[in-house]
Amino acid sequence: MSATTVHGHAAHAEHEHHDLGFIRTYVFSTDHKMIAKQFLFLGLFMLIIGGALALVVRWQLAWPETPVPGLSLILTETGGIIEPPHYNMAFTMHATIMIFFVVMPILVGSFGNFLIPLQIGARDMAFPTLNMLSFWTTFSAGLIILAGFFVPGGHAAAGWTSYAPLSSVTAYTGVNWGQNLWCISLFIMGVGSMMGSINYITTIINMRAPGMSLFRMPLALWSLFITAILLLLALPVLTSAAAMLLFDRTLGTNWFNPSQGGEPLLWQHLFWYFGHPEVYILILPAMGIASEVLPVFCRKPIFGYHAMAFSMIGIAFLSWVVYGHHMFVSGMNPTLGLTFTITTMIIAVPSAIKTFNWLGTLWGGRITFPPPMLFALGFVSMFVIGGLSGIFMASTPVDIYIQDTYFIVAHIHYVVFGGSIMGAFAAIYFWFPKMFGRLTNNALGHVHFWLTIVAFNVTFFPMHIIGVGGQMRRIYNPLQYEFLQHQQHWNVIMTVGAIVLGFSQIIFAVNFLWSLFKGAKAPTNPWNANTLEWSAPSPPPHLNWGPKIPTVYRGPYEYSAPESKDDFLPQWQPATTGAPAGRH
Amino acid sequence: MTAILEAPPAALPVVRRPDGGLPPPPRPTGGDDGDDRDPEPRRPLLDNARLATIFLIAAETMLFAGLISGFLVLRFAAAVWPPPLQPRLPIAVTGVNTLVLLASSVAVAAAVRALSRGPASRVITRLKVAAALGATFLVVQGYEWARLIGFGLTASSGAYGGTFYTLIGAHALHVVGALAWLTIALVFVQSGRFRPERSGGLRACALYWHFVVGLWPILYVAVYLL
Amino acid sequence: MLNWWLPENVATFGDEIDWLFHLIYWITGITFLLVAVTFLAFLFIYRDRPGRRARYTHGSTPLEIAWTVAPTLILVVLTFLSLPAWSRIKMSMPQTDFVVQVRAKQFNWEFTYPGADGKFGTPDDKTFLDEMHVPTDKPVRINLGARDVIHSFFVPQFRFKQDAVPGREIAAWFEVKKPGKYEAPCAELCGFGHSGMKAWVFAHSGADYDQWAAENLKGDAAPAAAESKPADAKPTTTEEKAKR
Ligand code: HEA
Ligand code: HEA
Ligand code: CUA
Ligand SMILES: [Cu+2]
Repeated sequence: MSATTVHGHAAHAEHEHHDLGFIRTYVFSTDHKMIAKQFLFLGLFMLIIGGALALVVRWQLAWPETPVPGLSLILTETGGIIEPPHYNMAFTMHATIMIFFVVMPILVGSFGNFLIPLQIGARDMAFPTLNMLSFWTTFSAGLIILAGFFVPGGHAAAGWTSYAPLSSVTAYTGVNWGQNLWCISLFIMGVGSMMGSINYITTIINMRAPGMSLFRMPLALWSLFITAILLLLALPVLTSAAAMLLFDRTLGTNWFNPSQGGEPLLWQHLFWYFGHPEVYILILPAMGIASEVLPVFCRKPIFGYHAMAFSMIGIAFLSWVVYGHHMFVSGMNPTLGLTFTITTMIIAVPSAIKTFNWLGTLWGGRITFPPPMLFALGFVSMFVIGGLSGIFMASTPVDIYIQDTYFIVAHIHYVVFGGSIMGAFAAIYFWFPKMFGRLTNNALGHVHFWLTIVAFNVTFFPMHIIGVGGQMRRIYNPLQYEFLQHQQHWNVIMTVGAIVLGFSQIIFAVNFLWSLFKGAKAPTNPWNANTLEWSAPSPPPHLNWGPKIPTVYRGPYEYSAPESKDDFLPQWQPATTGAPAGRH
Repeated sequence: MTAILEAPPAALPVVRRPDGGLPPPPRPTGGDDGDDRDPEPRRPLLDNARLATIFLIAAETMLFAGLISGFLVLRFAAAVWPPPLQPRLPIAVTGVNTLVLLASSVAVAAAVRALSRGPASRVITRLKVAAALGATFLVVQGYEWARLIGFGLTASSGAYGGTFYTLIGAHALHVVGALAWLTIALVFVQSGRFRPERSGGLRACALYWHFVVGLWPILYVAVYLL
Repeated sequence: MLNWWLPENVATFGDEIDWLFHLIYWITGITFLLVAVTFLAFLFIYRDRPGRRARYTHGSTPLEIAWTVAPTLILVVLTFLSLPAWSRIKMSMPQTDFVVQVRAKQFNWEFTYPGADGKFGTPDDKTFLDEMHVPTDKPVRINLGARDVIHSFFVPQFRFKQDAVPGREIAAWFEVKKPGKYEAPCAELCGFGHSGMKAWVFAHSGADYDQWAAENLKGDAAPAAAESKPADAKPTTTEEKAKR
């Protein structure tokens, strides 16, 4: 390892050998990097379950009421045929798991924990113990959500949006403890994410290294900072709503029961008041990650750093005032529809700014295409498609028609898979060397990317078409409708795509697991990047740096700066020396 | 146009450094965030504990905003409120109880003020008074709940009962939590953990206490008086 | 153009919706093409080649302003095209004497006509299960409600959709231009029978409708809902309904 970094980390050895024992090091660890890994493994594990449920859904849509291969082991009574209650449960839990236990743990939990201290130059979070509690709370919430599959009556089956009164009265779905556990799990998850977000915000505000002014923070940090604020303020609303729902179900309160003075639409208002900020919670970290990866592989400063930061702030502000676009035809006062159209259209502007600035970053770059870059580019292109389909829905009259059709499902997946999950893959490939001290396999990464992006589009693009053709979402069998018969072939194509997409992820799993144990040892700064995490050894030891934390001298994106001979100028490099550090 | 699209040449436009002597100071880089100079270490405005508590309070505010707005929606949609044939809420007793809770906040504030002057024993007494007042509030609330249930107002008595128990119960749980935190802080003060110059933990606890107390009048007005 | 994509539109406000749809289709389509072409071109032109160095720039304020203002303008125009259509469709109710009461329940639609006296809530009300008959070229007002959970009355070919919420009655309208038989699925998840919960809307031209009404609405003997089927149309019975 080179000792060229100014504030050398030769003395880190003394920190590494605090003998904490297995439990304190790997299980109840308070080290932000270990917690980050725990969140990552939790998220990836849940991805398998969420993905399997998605494949079950897809199978049923393409070949309705035929036995799903392998499912006869679980659904013994039906011989592997999915029945309507199973179907509803499958997509409900698919979405719940993907959103709350895949994307949030990976993007916010894992990369938030990993990057915040390393990129601001802190030794750990402000509250390491709270951090550990936050993981274990989320973990318990995950166990509870999984437990729901095993209770009599099955798991929650009212959609991930759990509209009352369908969700609040057992008789309407036949689901009893499943729905209760859904509420309890999200309640606990809310508490865990509150702990996490408080920790993130405090850390970013108070613990930045000397010289790390707010506008020298990498955009990934900005995105995580803003995400944490959204989490802090949005999740409690879901928490309160989940509590009300649970009380309606178990204590006999009547929050959502119209015959006793309750109000079904109240649930929707509360849910979407949380729900819309939530979707930006899912995308903002991915935006930050893309803004981090693009400059490194373009060898070029990010285009419009300030515009990038301010547009994220703009998105965060606006995300509070658009939630009604999910309720255009819900029976809410139509006058509100007018206001929500205006705000929803406006919220596309900051996303436009970001998109164009990413393009600006590519302009004039010196672009290389390793897997993290491929996924970051995949993110940008797919997010644009998903975002543009949002414009259709933002227009109220058009939304009357496409609401609750597969057009929405297409939108969802372009932004959450094409956006968040692609961003997560980019992040995993990019920071894997730092996180685990080993390099991933380049060739497998390329195969993974190309299979994923092609299969992804085969799976989800036709959803626009059948959605406009009128196919409703959340239907068990499209063949029950005459006007949908003629487009059934799309359903088959999409399912084949989904199966390929699912199996492509095995390549990723192989790459991940193989590299974890057998990958080549990673140098300190394998990508020649500028941000502070690349000044710590790979993997960073306990407390991240040696005796002295790095000092920050400049912004994070000084690539190809004229005054440096090399094409990068790290943040920790003092101004007076000419040569950059970290070459190997 | 072609000039814009053309890829830049490789010739390094390196700032030529004069041989010998000091190199010229490099241009400021990183956009417009100022010169590259050796920065000062950071001096935070607020310690971590209090900062975190402020964010905790923000989150809790959103939680109660959800509950209270839900309550208001149901309450103003109802034709008559409280619904006929339902017991009335004990306005007077709860009003007095409100004063008890407010007094506890005064005591906590006094304890914080006593931190920097006077002996630790003064802090301890004041915290004890605050805790006792908080506990009194809880006991009276519990007693009133028991009476209401006796009169037949339960969580399942329509929107009226359900909202009442959810809101007031959520607040009561917060008082319990705050009380637990206060007790821990009290123990810490007794064991000498908080010195005047390192009292962030206690101040954070006080902040949270004020929040829980400050929330109550709002709930009292919304649930009991409106 | 592109109409192969959307199902045929037969209602009055459908044209407006389809027009907006296509407008947005073109706007977003062109935006997408521009972005995609630039994106791919940049990736190709600026791929790493020996002897090249990246351009050192932190951005450009004029560009920043340009690409903030341009989408804003487009979106503002779109907003102002959307709002009037929305208020015509959902916020106004054309004068009409044709009112049908629609009730959703797990997993059927009930359509109630006022009967001979023209009033609802009287014994001569006629209720039909999963089938609705309306005249063409006349605004139809429906008073939409639900008996248990939330459902959504969706008639793709009318571009009509409105949720039916228990505990409230929502008024909505449409006007059909072309006689025919149209499928009306439920579009809001409402339980295990959600898929397959659908009704048929029969739009009759003026004289046909009067005939149907004379046969089915005016008589004293209330026809049992299920049997009151006109000759030309027998709703397909889904498995779900067969079960109950
Ligand atoms: C990561 C998650 C994510 C993100 C980022 C978004 C982003 C957006 N969403 Fe999406 N949305 C969801 C996740 C997300 N959404 C989910 C999960 C649902 C369904 C929930 C459910 O019911 O289950 C949903 C549903 C949903 C609806 C409700 C549909 C319905 O049920 O009827 C609407 C309606 O307005 C909407 C709009 C938008 C808009 C306008 C944006 C904008 O932010 C997009 C902005 C981006 C761009 C526009 C692209 C880039 C810009 C340019 C290239 C510039 C040029 C553009 C123009 C000039 C137009 N979304
Ligand atoms: C982050 C969110 C997310 C993600 C990633 C996905 C991913 C997928 N979704 Fe998802 N989906 C939603 C969020 C998401 N979805 C939401 C919010 C809804 C609405 C639900 C509702 O209506 O209530 C929905 C609904 C929905 C529907 C509509 C159901 C209906 O309305 O009836 C369909 C149908 O095709 C579908 C399909 C898929 C498919 C095929 C994938 C595929 O991309 C999945 C492919 C992935 C795998 C198969 C996993 C394999 C992974 C590995 C092997 C990794 C292992 C790694 C290691 C061990 C290191 N989804
Ligand atoms: Cu009724 Cu879906
Ligand atoms: Cu939204």
